[in-house]
Order: sequence, then structure tokens, then C-alpha cells
Amino acid sequence: MKGIRWKFGIGAVLLVGMLSLGGGMAQDYDPNANLNLATNADPTLNPWTPGAVVESNLINTIVFDQLVRYSPKDLSPAPGLATSWKVAPDGLSWVFNLRKGVTWHDGKPFTAEDVAFTFNDVVLNKKLGAQNAGNFSKLKSVEVVNPSTVRFVLNAPFSSLPYYLAYYAGILPRHILSSSENPLQVANFNKKNPIGTGAFRVAEFVPGSYVRLVRYEKYWGGSPKINSIVFKIVPDPNTQMAQAISGELDFVGVSNPALLAGVERNPKLQVLRQSQNLYYFVALNQNDPRFRDVRVRQALLYAIDRKAMIDSVVRGYGTIATGPIAPLQKAFYVKDVAQYPYSPEKAKQLLAQAGWTPGPDGVLQKDGKPFEIDMPTGQFGYLVPATLLVQQYWKAIGVKANVNVMEWNAYIQKMFVNRQYEATLAWWSTPPTPDVTPYYASSAADKGNNIPNYKNPDLDKLLEEGLRATGVQEQVLTYRRIQRLLAEQLPYLYLWYPDILSVRNERVGGMADINTAAAFQYSSDWFIKR
Amino acid sequence: MDSTLQPSASTAPPHSRFWLRVRRNPVGLGAFIVLCLLTVLVVFGPSLYRVAPDSTDPLNILAAPSPAHPFGTDELGRDMLSRLLYGGRVSLAVGLLSMLVGLTIGTLAGGIAGYFQGWAETVVMRLVDVFMSIPSFFLVLVIVTVFGNHPLTVVVTVGIGFWAQMARVVFAEFTKYRGREFVEAMHALGASHARIMFRHIFPQVLPQAIVLATLGVGWAILTEAALSYLGLGIQPPLASWGNMLQNAQAYLYSNPMLAIWPGLFIAVTVLAFNILGNALRDVLDPRG
Amino acid sequence: MTAYILRRLLQGGVVLLLISAVTFLLINLAPGGPTSAVSLGRTAEEREAVLKQYGLDRPILVRYLDWLGGVSRGDLGKSYNQGLPVASLLAQRMGNTLLLALSALALTAVLGVGLGVLSALYKNRWPDHLISSLATVGMSVPAFWLGIVAIIVFAVQFKWLPSSGIFTVGQEFSLADRLRHLAMPAGVLAFTLMPNVIRITRSALLEVLTSDYVRTARAKGVSEQVVLLKHTLKNAMVPVIAILGLITTVLFSGSVVVESVFGWAGLGRLAIEAANGRDYPVILGVTLLVGAIVVVVNLLVDVLYAAVDPRINHG
Repeated sequence: MKGIRWKFGIGAVLLVGMLSLGGGMAQDYDPNANLNLATNADPTLNPWTPGAVVESNLINTIVFDQLVRYSPKDLSPAPGLATSWKVAPDGLSWVFNLRKGVTWHDGKPFTAEDVAFTFNDVVLNKKLGAQNAGNFSKLKSVEVVNPSTVRFVLNAPFSSLPYYLAYYAGILPRHILSSSENPLQVANFNKKNPIGTGAFRVAEFVPGSYVRLVRYEKYWGGSPKINSIVFKIVPDPNTQMAQAISGELDFVGVSNPALLAGVERNPKLQVLRQSQNLYYFVALNQNDPRFRDVRVRQALLYAIDRKAMIDSVVRGYGTIATGPIAPLQKAFYVKDVAQYPYSPEKAKQLLAQAGWTPGPDGVLQKDGKPFEIDMPTGQFGYLVPATLLVQQYWKAIGVKANVNVMEWNAYIQKMFVNRQYEATLAWWSTPPTPDVTPYYASSAADKGNNIPNYKNPDLDKLLEEGLRATGVQEQVLTYRRIQRLLAEQLPYLYLWYPDILSVRNERVGGMADINTAAAFQYSSDWFIKR
Repeated sequence: MDSTLQPSASTAPPHSRFWLRVRRNPVGLGAFIVLCLLTVLVVFGPSLYRVAPDSTDPLNILAAPSPAHPFGTDELGRDMLSRLLYGGRVSLAVGLLSMLVGLTIGTLAGGIAGYFQGWAETVVMRLVDVFMSIPSFFLVLVIVTVFGNHPLTVVVTVGIGFWAQMARVVFAEFTKYRGREFVEAMHALGASHARIMFRHIFPQVLPQAIVLATLGVGWAILTEAALSYLGLGIQPPLASWGNMLQNAQAYLYSNPMLAIWPGLFIAVTVLAFNILGNALRDVLDPRG
Repeated sequence: MTAYILRRLLQGGVVLLLISAVTFLLINLAPGGPTSAVSLGRTAEEREAVLKQYGLDRPILVRYLDWLGGVSRGDLGKSYNQGLPVASLLAQRMGNTLLLALSALALTAVLGVGLGVLSALYKNRWPDHLISSLATVGMSVPAFWLGIVAIIVFAVQFKWLPSSGIFTVGQEFSLADRLRHLAMPAGVLAFTLMPNVIRITRSALLEVLTSDYVRTARAKGVSEQVVLLKHTLKNAMVPVIAILGLITTVLFSGSVVVESVFGWAGLGRLAIEAANGRDYPVILGVTLLVGAIVVVVNLLVDVLYAAVDPRINHG
């Protein structure tokens, strides 16, 4: 059996060296420049602290290095704090070789002990409830082989491990945090003076106003080309966009494409259309017998004009989704799966086959019961308008959805924690790995991330196979079968893959275009043009 | 310090003088007419202009005004005119109903406290203090977060945000009248407390309550709009001018009219209520 | 007087206790838990671990008494989502809110009294009509709407003023920079608060102007300016003080929205963030603090009122 090997180390160093040589000769960047970014609330500067989410992710990506990064070329796993890795033939352990000569922001050396501490004492410590700990449920422990080598020991094969190690999995300093009772709740660290190994260190944190990062001169990848980065705390996306237009911000993520109207004509701003493994869906609760009939699920998807929805809800910035694996995973994505082009007629036919016939008021009924669906939604992004459109499409085929718009936390409680819903529109964002077990396995139904509570033993078996696969070819074949099955069975009604939009001032250079998550893992390459 | 906020009491003037004052106050009359027109528009408008307010049309979003859509369409291709009419219905209803809630609670509580005094006064007026100490908006914020934003919850909470002020005024007036001779005379004649309170004292307090309530409607409409701005007000698919304004936020640069129309309707309506309130103050209480 | 103040403070304490009990009960009834525990993608196991860390697995009465005990020792607890002591979060935000509130209050007082006086002096002539129209408009326009329009005009179109924030990073000590950031939020708040002050000043002044002693003074040949300044304004100030006190409550309400529009890191925004994130200790802390401020301001106003107007007697 052959293991998967990644040996980017030397090549990457050479490439970076050449690039910086080219840039360095011209000196076309300003070494004293400051980059202005925004975040929507006070961040928590510890990637594992419960509640450290969107407002903290980008800053933490800069401050805390991860073992693995995404390749800016194709998002495949690339070296970070680990230079190379190898999986054992049985798939149950991985050895990671760590980069030498890396120091923490306080000058202390980074070693294998830090990695072991991060996973054994923080992520795997169940009492702490670390954010994203669920991504590592197959991890048993991390063993220190020598100061620059660690071994990840697993309970079950986990071929996506490197992807997850690049997914908000920053390494924490053992020498700072090991003495505290709860390493995730050290206020002085999380809110003032975090210590990472990243290209920039935190110089100042003014709550409610901004976080200022300055370059870490002794960064292992060479001294960064920007002097400082200021993350301004701007809660309102409209204001963020206004500040990008006025030049107060250099880079802004765009949550609502409608905001781009003022930007598309601006010559100083560049609109980036990027992709991420993210898909919007309608979940139909499989605990409701009506939705266990695959014809009903297919009909409800046929009834939705997804092209028109993309044009209106995301202003055309998106593509019709066919499954959980987005096209950016070029090696795995398959397009020739079951498709559901907009066809209300076909929807009505399928529903008729399933026994749903028009009632007196135009609403379909079966056994005297009208087809009414309880459809809660939460106030977040464009969930509400998208839900209202779906409601209207279903109304056209005689299915009545009762939309209930809720405050976000209450919605999460109802839909996700208690699963009290019949249909709901949401999204999943995952690392660019083809493994979708957490969202589809029967074991994740009812309490895990399998929101529609879909249970299919055939699928479970295929997912297992995928995790066990050690050769790329084997993986590709398995995940193609999984995609075909999902497209046919529709555990989720797939809506679209949105483009991830951001606006960048043209003065910023060296930022990878592929996507934001990857770009922020290479902040030392960024520069400001003169 | 309350005397500064409310008109002082007066007995209802004879009708002829009342109408004289009304005629001398053309602006107030104008505001009244505007409100009547608005009410007619939102109550009967939808049955004349038969376009569904929640019928989406993704192929025709953010359309400019046309014969089919005189005010254009919004981000989901919904007809703006229809939404403005239905939204107006909701906003006006929320304004009126929540004022009614505040008026009822405030008048009852203030009346009982003022009439019976003693422990009733202590309980009610301390409660008034509590409510006056929490900025009403914070209160509404907490309640709506807790109980969700069902339209009825919004109405009741906005009303609750308003009752304490009303109770204070009514309390002061009742305190003033309870010692008057006619009240004591009624009492001697064997009239019940309820009868004295509602048949005899309440009419004296009414003019002031009306003025305060009129101004209160405007306040309630503004509060609903502000709640909607924070995503806590009336929820879609039900339209209100407030949530239309919130939806329009993302389109300020590209389609400012989406925000201008509901904003304008709110401003005009509240303006009319405020002018009417001030005019009523002048009419009912010439000394103010 | 001292006894009166003590009694009022005691009453205030009871009021605050009531507020805290009601708020505690209400927020614990709210569906959804702290964002750090309850969010999309969080497993049941993680959720329970975090809730246990916060002690949310204990009965509500125990938690309330626990919290109350903490408060009595000056400990307001720790924010769930921020991991910081509530007191320090409040302190951080309080300064910003006070800056905004006091600026808005000063602007309101100066403009409101000024326009009110003008209005009274030109009673029923065009300046009076103009000012009262302005005041009515101010009362009728949603503050957030005004704020958004102001941002579009002054920040986006003309680029005169920054659209959000409290100061420019790196210019923390520049007064000019602070004022530029204050201009829009304070202006918007003042515009919506002014109407009451204008109206009260106008009617108070009119009442005094028509009073006997002013008429006597005029008859004695004292010049118009002297009358206006010496007698009238001083007496007219009484209700104005009162209204400014009342406005404090309104100010905290108004600042919730205005702080959101202008990204002003004050108590109002903290309250909204805490409510949305179900950060119970922070919600309680903000409510308690704002309640305390209102109690104290009301007391101050009444004391001041008594000092200015000797007719009021607090037995």
C-alpha cells in the first residue's frame, strides 16, 4: 500500500524566494505601509475559544499559524508549520515533520510539545468545549516523537485530516497557556496579548474600536512586507462598504452582493469572485414521513427556479449546486449527476405519483390533509429573502409553506438543536475536502450536523470507504459514487454555490486570489504598492 | 416636572368655541385630513389596487416604475406600491394598537392609583418609576428578544414602553379631582367607585389623554421602525414600513427609492400625528 | 434635604433590584443560548460542555442568587462570549457612550434653548413658525434613517466626515479628529431630541414674559435685553432643567440605534450584541448600569429643580 505524500517544502521555498527577489529588486512596495481591514465585532484571539467565529477567524489566521495551509493554487493541503507528512498504511496514524527555527512572538522556540498541547490538552479536552473540536472527533491523541516530529493517532481512518488541520486549527503556545486551568479563557491572552507564530503579532487591542497587528520580524517565512495591519471593528456591512469606497478600508468581504452596486464602477476597487466549499440548501426533515418519499423531495426541487433565484438573491454571483462537493474541488467534483431543471409540471407530476392531489383551495392534499410545511428561518445574510422565494415557488405547485422569521439564536435553537422544523433553508461551509461524513452520516442525524436527519445505510458504507481510501484514484471513484447517490436521493435540496465576494483596493498586492481563507494564511506575502 | 410635558387640565370648552379654535388651526386640520387620507388609502387601497404584496418575481427585480408597477419592484420583484399600502396598514395598526395598549394600561393603573391612593398608589407609582428608569427602548429590546417578534408581541411591548408616561399623567389628574366637591357629592349619593371614576372623573382627564395618545401613536410608529432596523420588529413576509426600510438598506446606493418611499411615509405619518397632537393641545387646552 | 436624598436613593436601590430580577427572569426564558455554546455546527457534546462551564445547568433561582451575591461584592460576573469581566466591558463602553451622550446633550441644550428663545421672542411670526416646523420634523424622522442619509451625504458623497468609529487609528489624541467623528452621531441625536427642549423653552419663556413682574420691570423702563437676560431666562430655566433630565432616558434609548448606525462602541451597541449573542451577564450589567444612571440623574434633576425653584419643598 502506498501512502499519500506531500513534499512541497523545497519547491515552495524556492518559489517564494524567486517571487520576493523579483519584487525586492524593483522595491515597488512601501515597507512602512499599513493595511486597513475590518471585522464586525470584538474578536477573540484564540482560535479554539467557544464563540470565536467569523469576527475572529481572519485575525487568528494571521496571528496563529496552522500545521497545514491551503495551496494558493488549488486549495490542496500545503506546508504550514509542518513541512511534510505521511499516513500509515492502515490509515490510523499520521506523522508530521515540523518546521525548524520557528519562534513564538515572545521569542521562545516552537516545538512538537506545542502541537501536542494544542490537541491533547485543548481540542480533545471535552470539558473545554473547544470551537471546532468536533472536526477532530476521530483523533485519539497526538504523540511527540521528537522535538520536530509529531504523530497523530486516530480512532478510525480519516483521510481528510490535513484539510482540517488547515481549517481554523491554529497552534497554541504551551509555555504560555499550559499553567492555566482553562487555556481557552485566559482574558489577557484572548483579549490583549496573544502569542502565536504568525507573520504579524498583536500590538494593541482597543475594544470596540480596533486591533492593530505589527509585522513579526523573526517570522519563519521572512520579515513581512507590510508594517502593520489594523482590523477596524465595523459592525454594519453597509458602513464597511462605504469605508471601502472612501478608501478607509483596503479589503472587505461582501456578505450581500447588492452592496456591490456602488463598487462595480470604481476604478480603484477590484471585485474578487472567489469560491469556497459552500452550498446553500433546503433541508426537509426526514423525521416527517412525507419527506421520506424521494419523489416528494425531487418534486420540491423541480419546483424551484434556481437560476432565477441566483439572479435575484445573489445578483448572479453563484452557480447551481449539484451536491456537497463544490466545483473548486476539481479532482472530485462531477457534473454529470441527476439534474433538476426548473419544471413546475414535472414537480406536480411527481407529487401526483406520490399521492398528492389538488384540494379545493388549490393546496395539494393527501388523505384529506393539506400539504402545509412549517418553515422557520433566521435573520442572517440572505436567508429570509431566499426562503420567501422558495415559499412562492412552492405555492405555485400547491404546497403551502408557513414561513416564520426568527431571531438568529432562537432559530438555531429551534432548527438545529431541537430539530423542530419541517423545511428550512441554510448553508454548509466545509473545508475543501470531499469527505462529507459529518453532514450526511446516519450517526450525525438528530443531534449532529446532519440537519435533515437523513439516514441511508448505503450512503454510510460509501462514506466509510471514502475515509479509508488511501490512494487518490480510489478516493476519486468513491466520491463520484457518493455524489451520484446524493444527487439522486436529495438528502438536502441543493440550491447554489455562491461566489465568495470581496472588494480589494488596487494598492494591495501579493494577496492570493483563490479565496480569502487561503489568502490570509500567506499574509507575509502581502504588500502595499507605492 | 411633568407639567412641562403635558398640557394642563381644562374642562371641555363649549362646542362653538371648540370649532372656532379648530378653524383657527388650519395646520392641525390639514394634519387630520392627511391622516384620514392615509387611513383610507391603506384600508381600502389594497382592495382597489389588487396586486399581492408578497408575490415575488425573481425575473423582474428592482424594476423601475412602469404601468405594471407604478412604484417599481423591490429586491425580490415584489410590487412596491402594494407593499407600501399593506405595510402602511401594519405600521398604522401597530401604532394605533400599541398606543391603545399603553393608554388602557396607563389610564387604568394611573386612575386606580390616583383615585384610591394609599397602597395602590405606592405599588403603581413605584412600578411607574421602574419603567421610567429603564429606557423604554431597552425594555422593548429585551422583551422582543425573549418572546419573539410575533406582531402581537411587538404591539404589546411597544405599548408597554408607553404606559408609564400615561399613568403618571392620569394619576396626577385623578389626584387632583378626587377631592373635588362633585366627587364627594356623588359618593354621598351612593355612586360606586367605578362609576365615579369612569363616568365623572375620566371625562375630565380625557382631553389630556387624547393629546398624549395622539403623540404616542407617532412614537409607536417610530419605535416599530427602529426595532425593525435592528431586525426585531414586524417580520417578513408581513410588510411594514419599518422592515421595508431595513430591507432597502443594502440598496441605498443602487436603488435609493426603495428606502426613500417607506422613510417618507413614516416621516409624513408621524409628522401628521405630532402636528395633530400639538393642535389638539391648543384646541383642548388653550392655555398650553 | 439629606433625608430626602437618602430616601430617594433607597427607593432607587429597590427599583434596581426589581429591574435585575425581571431582566434575569426574562433573558433566561429566551429561546437559544449563548452564541459560544449554541451555534450552527456545534455538536451536542460541545454545547453541553460550554453550558456547564457557564453554570447554566443549575436552576435559575440558584443562579440569580449567585449573581446577586456577586453583585453585592462588586462582581458583575464574566461575559460568556467575550470572556472578560462584565465590569471592565461596561467601563470600556461607558466612556464612549458618555462622550456621545454628553455631546448630544450639550448640543441639544444649546440649540434647543437658543431656538426656543428665538421662537418665543418672535411668537407667531415667521421665525417661530420655521423653528416649530423644524422641531416637528425632528420629532418625526426616524433617527437611524437620518443617520443613514447623513452617511450617504457627508461621508460617501462629499467625504467631509468619517462614516463610523470614534477616532482614526493613530490619531487617538487629536481633538479635531474626535470632533469630526462626533459630528454626525451627536448631530443626529441632537436633532431628534431638540424638539422637546425648543417647545418647553418657548412656552416657559412666554409664560414668564407675560407674568406680572416682567411687565412691571418693563414698565419701570428696564431695557428689553436686561429683562430677557436677568429675569426671564433664569426663571424659564426651571422646566428646561427638567426636560434635560428626562432626555437622559431618551438619550440612552436613542443611542442604541445611533451607535449601531455609526459603529460607535458604546453601551447601546454592547446591549444589542449581548442580546443577540445571549450573553446574559452582559445584558444584566448594561440594564443595571443604565438603570442606575437614570435613577441618579432623576434625583439630581429633582435636587437641582428644588435649588432653582424654592417653591418646591421636599419634606
